[in-house]
Amino acid sequence: MEYFNTHLLSLILFTPTIAALIMLFLPDNAQLQRWFAFISSLVPFILTLVLWSRFDPNAAGFQFEEKYVWYEAINSSFHIGVDGISFSMVLLTTLLTPLAILASFSVTDRVKPYMMLFLFLETGMLGVFLALDLLIFFVFWEIGLVPMYFLINQWGSANRNYASLKFMIYTMGGSLGLLLAVQLLGVLFGTFDLVVLYQQWNSLSADTILLGMPIHTVKTIAFWAFAIAFAVKVPVWPFHTWLPDAHTEAPTAGSMILAGVLLKLGAYGFIRLVLPLYPVESKIFAGALAVLAVGAIVFGAFGSYGQTDFKRLVAYSSVNHMGFVVLGIAAAGLAAGTADAHIAMSGAVLQMFNHGLSAAGMFFLVGVIYERTHTRNLDDFGGLFPLVPVYGGILIFTSMASLGLPGLNGFVSEFMIVRGSYQPLTIYTAIAMLGLLFTGAYILKGIKKVLHGPLNEHWAHGEHKLTEINLREIIVMAPLMALMLFTGLWPMWILDIINKAVTALF
Amino acid sequence: MVPLSWYLTLAAGLFSIGLFGVLVRRNAVAILLGVELMLNAVNINLVAFWRYSEALASMNGQVFAIIVFAVAAAEVSVGLALVISVYRRRNTVIADELDMLKW
Amino acid sequence: MSTETLIWLLPLPPALAFFLIVLFTNKSKAVSHTIAVGAAFLSWLGAMVVFIRALGVEHLAEHPFESAINWLPTGETYLKIGVLIDPLSAIVLFFVAWCVLMIFLYSVGYHNFGQPAGDHDHPGLPPHGATVHGHTVPSVEPMYSRFFAFIGLFAFGMLTLVVSDNVLTMFVGWEIMGLCSYLLIGFWYGKESARNAAIKAFMTTRVGDVFMLLGIAFLYSVTGSLSFKDIFNEEVLKVLASVPTGVFGLSAAGLIGLLLFIGTVGKSAQFPLHVWLPDAMEGPTPVSAMIHAATMVSAGVYAVIRMFPIISLDHTTMNIVALIGTFTAIFAATIAVAQNDIKRVLAYSTISQLGFMIAALGIEAYVAATFHLVTHAFFKALLFLGSGSVIHGMEHGVLHTGNHKVDPQDMFNMGGLRNKMPITFWTFLIGGFALSGFPLITAGFWSKDEILTDAWKHDHYIIFGTLAIAAFLTAFYTMRQITLTFFGEARTKEAEHAHETPWTMTTPLIVLSVFAITFGWVGIPEYFPGIGGLLPNWFHEFVGSMLGEHGAAEAAKFDPIPLITSLVVALGGLTAGYFAYRNVKSPAEDKLQISVLKNKWYVDELYNVVFIKPAAWFSEVFVSKWMDKGFIDGILHIFGPATGGVGSGIRNYFDLPIINHFLGDGSAEATWWIGRNLRPIQTGRIQQYLILSLILLFVVGGLLYFLLMA
Repeated sequence: MEYFNTHLLSLILFTPTIAALIMLFLPDNAQLQRWFAFISSLVPFILTLVLWSRFDPNAAGFQFEEKYVWYEAINSSFHIGVDGISFSMVLLTTLLTPLAILASFSVTDRVKPYMMLFLFLETGMLGVFLALDLLIFFVFWEIGLVPMYFLINQWGSANRNYASLKFMIYTMGGSLGLLLAVQLLGVLFGTFDLVVLYQQWNSLSADTILLGMPIHTVKTIAFWAFAIAFAVKVPVWPFHTWLPDAHTEAPTAGSMILAGVLLKLGAYGFIRLVLPLYPVESKIFAGALAVLAVGAIVFGAFGSYGQTDFKRLVAYSSVNHMGFVVLGIAAAGLAAGTADAHIAMSGAVLQMFNHGLSAAGMFFLVGVIYERTHTRNLDDFGGLFPLVPVYGGILIFTSMASLGLPGLNGFVSEFMIVRGSYQPLTIYTAIAMLGLLFTGAYILKGIKKVLHGPLNEHWAHGEHKLTEINLREIIVMAPLMALMLFTGLWPMWILDIINKAVTALF
Repeated sequence: MVPLSWYLTLAAGLFSIGLFGVLVRRNAVAILLGVELMLNAVNINLVAFWRYSEALASMNGQVFAIIVFAVAAAEVSVGLALVISVYRRRNTVIADELDMLKW
Repeated sequence: MSTETLIWLLPLPPALAFFLIVLFTNKSKAVSHTIAVGAAFLSWLGAMVVFIRALGVEHLAEHPFESAINWLPTGETYLKIGVLIDPLSAIVLFFVAWCVLMIFLYSVGYHNFGQPAGDHDHPGLPPHGATVHGHTVPSVEPMYSRFFAFIGLFAFGMLTLVVSDNVLTMFVGWEIMGLCSYLLIGFWYGKESARNAAIKAFMTTRVGDVFMLLGIAFLYSVTGSLSFKDIFNEEVLKVLASVPTGVFGLSAAGLIGLLLFIGTVGKSAQFPLHVWLPDAMEGPTPVSAMIHAATMVSAGVYAVIRMFPIISLDHTTMNIVALIGTFTAIFAATIAVAQNDIKRVLAYSTISQLGFMIAALGIEAYVAATFHLVTHAFFKALLFLGSGSVIHGMEHGVLHTGNHKVDPQDMFNMGGLRNKMPITFWTFLIGGFALSGFPLITAGFWSKDEILTDAWKHDHYIIFGTLAIAAFLTAFYTMRQITLTFFGEARTKEAEHAHETPWTMTTPLIVLSVFAITFGWVGIPEYFPGIGGLLPNWFHEFVGSMLGEHGAAEAAKFDPIPLITSLVVALGGLTAGYFAYRNVKSPAEDKLQISVLKNKWYVDELYNVVFIKPAAWFSEVFVSKWMDKGFIDGILHIFGPATGGVGSGIRNYFDLPIINHFLGDGSAEATWWIGRNLRPIQTGRIQQYLILSLILLFVVGGLLYFLLMA
């Protein structure tokens, strides 16, 4: 029991890996492998619930910290811990992974490696959220890429080679600067420990000379190295073009995780590393960041509206929604220490959580209809509502959550971001409203083209007859929908934890 | 007693004659004869050095010389056997004509 | 149960009904409508209890029923949400509860409950009728349960909006209604026109909503609170009025007010965002139409009334409000004159009447606007339900003759219906007269007269004049509608076979027509000649108390000009309408079918060219094709070939020539060349070898000798 208490985070982090390794030895029975993967991915979720019950939202700093010797020569230690911000992300990850695995039960091609990759992916993502050591952070950051690359490359649709390569190269290209900047910090302070770095890095006096340059210049360069790496991952305009391709080509569950969790890594990087490590630069460059964010919001919305591929439409919606996260972060950076910053930042974290729910749901629903019709072209659908009333209802519900309808989750976070950003970044927020308007346009376009209008008779009869969403698929959607509604009505359940952590940090 | 250098001069002369024979005679048997001369020149040296050294009791020089005899005898027997063998195949014992071992 | 608890519970029954129907009972029509109507009844009952208790409280404005809880943690503090019943929300709650209950009841009959399922009916399309014993009879709506679920959610949204004590939950209810209007307008989603109308409604109102959200964010940033109680105290208002914003020279209050007002422009269909409302008539006739027209659009006006303390702080904003309201009133009235669809006339009349209210607010006629809001809700609900009843009767005729080409909504296909549908006729007449402002009896007269009086008294002569003309047009097109529909002879076979509708539809008509008359009597001004003072001007006292000293101090002095004006325009319009259309048989004989009016001043066409097409082009071509695929991906795609170029450059100009050719192949070739050239010395002649070794011995020996000795 004592071991359990002190190693809770490690257990959450490594259970998926261990399960994946055990899967290697499972007999060649697809059904068994699926259920094994599903059940073992539930374990981290249950552990996260345990973590939640023992988590003290009022305590400052990190909790459940664990620290082991890892790479002594360069003084990097295996240091993990959790606070309110990372907790919400861990909860999201451990919740979405089982659902994604359940959603993948319809995969019949090479089930074992597929499931194993998902479990590895979970460890990679959790590692980023839990890491309190820059080097560990970076290691997990890169680990997450590999399974996703193979998932897209091996189980994706037609254009998967292009998409997976683009995804990999783009992200790796972005993180080159990150690696250098991480090493710079490590060399300067002889440690990669975040908790230590937070203090030392900012306590450097302003006229220090580093590497022959004034500290300000070094910090500016390092700031952008971090920021670009995370900006690619979020992604903000104009680094977003990998996303529509990767999402569109990835298998359904891959898109769920990609949109649901992987994009959050970037935003989380901003919150965990960029703002605390570079408070001054965050203030100076908040405008630039806000421009990118507003670009993502507006162009994401327009881009989404301009698509004819259902999945691409949803993919662009991620750009639009994640733009709000970055807008909130930019505002928090500019107004650090004020109530505006707290509201904007809480909103940004909540928006990450909410987008995780709604984007995963949307991608899954696109996948459901794609599995049945083998087309994603919006013009091929039309008037499907009478054929699939339950699916239609779920699609409208999830779309509305994505649209930010009050009463559902998206609204709360978008409202908080708009509220928090209004004072520091008035003009940007006002322009972002254009994106919010077009969010409505593209969501309604999706519903209009798929469900409404005259029935496309092709799907009504014979071998092409569209079948209703099945029980397994409803089970995947049910927790997501329940959370969307509950968070919309009573956001306090998670926002309280986030808000306390945010207030303590910024 | 005759000084050592006399013996050495003798031996050197004998050696040079042998060497000359080896280098210029065309007949393989004659070349073998030249080799014998050179070996014997060495023997003279060995014995002479032994005689003028301070370790007369050891008999080293004579032992060396005897070993050289034995080796020379063996060498000549093998050499002549080869010459005969070559003669049987090529019908010649002229060294210049036996130049197959080239590129 | 304490009143506060009761208020909290008010919106819940319809929401529960929504979830129950969607999740469990959607297969059973009877259970679904029982749940929905039952929920509406519970809410109505609760609302009446709250209303009566509110009447019993003295100085309700100062001591409203209120209760709030923490909802959203924001840094160190919490955003509170809660409920509030003050005179304004009490009076709005009153009419909302009544209207909602009546709509729910009416829907049962309207969707042909109890009739057989249709022969060829299809979910997503209106029912086409069923054949029973060789007769065609109306068939039940295939998505009957779904309809009740949607209006349940709608009622939840409206009640939430009304009982809110803060802007945020008000906005929540506001948007939920937006969703429901989308779902209900697009209820028959199989129809192309309904699908497009639904999107148009949602998007047009959303234009207003995003501005409103911005206004809320601004308000929240400045005041740190969103609840009315905190915002509307004098210090906060003073701050708001004094902070400049740098936008059009408005103060913070002015800008916030303007942003919130733009939300109302969208929701209450004011010019230039009015375009969605006429198209919203695509929804199931007339129930959803009535929801949008009588209830939801009232929410927009309610929001402005609610925010009046802020909006009224800035004169620029007030002028904009008055201008938009007045313009919309006359603008929509002109269009209504030329419409032939019975519902579209009402839709434009709604826009016009909402313009009256907005204009009234713009000239600070707070009580008059509220009064007109309530009376309008009753008589417009009555009219919409009445028109639905007419259409339903006409559909009966259409099914009888089997000629589906006859549009049951076109007034020129009707005529003489007063004998066929007496209840509908009389109630519609009451509603129409109320809308026209028929003097003394109808509610519409008192409220409209009050607006005109206020405009006159506050020296807004232009507004007064414009509104008077609009009122004349209102009376005119209303009488045109009544004349074409009910008077004269039946112009088609279908109209001859029209049929009175069932009791579930006529009962709401009767109830609402009672309100359409009597509700005017609670607000008769004391100074009115003859009957003034017989009944206390309760409405003015009750709602006017919201404004404190300011409202009570309004001087009560009689002025004959506005009264005479409203008498003239109402009676004149009605008379003109009757005589102009008494003998009109077809659209060709109608002299007012002017194409610019018929085509709604071409606003839709203009928007299509100016906004919709460019937006689509911007999305599909500029952003997707040019920027993302062309420019950004173009740059990326340079990286690929560029990397390839660098790679093959290294291969072609370094690896191949230097490493491979020079170092690799070169060393082999050099060895080969050396060997080739040294080959001649290997003669195979043993003696030459010996000579060579001898020479080498000397050379090496000599070298060693010199090196070692040196």
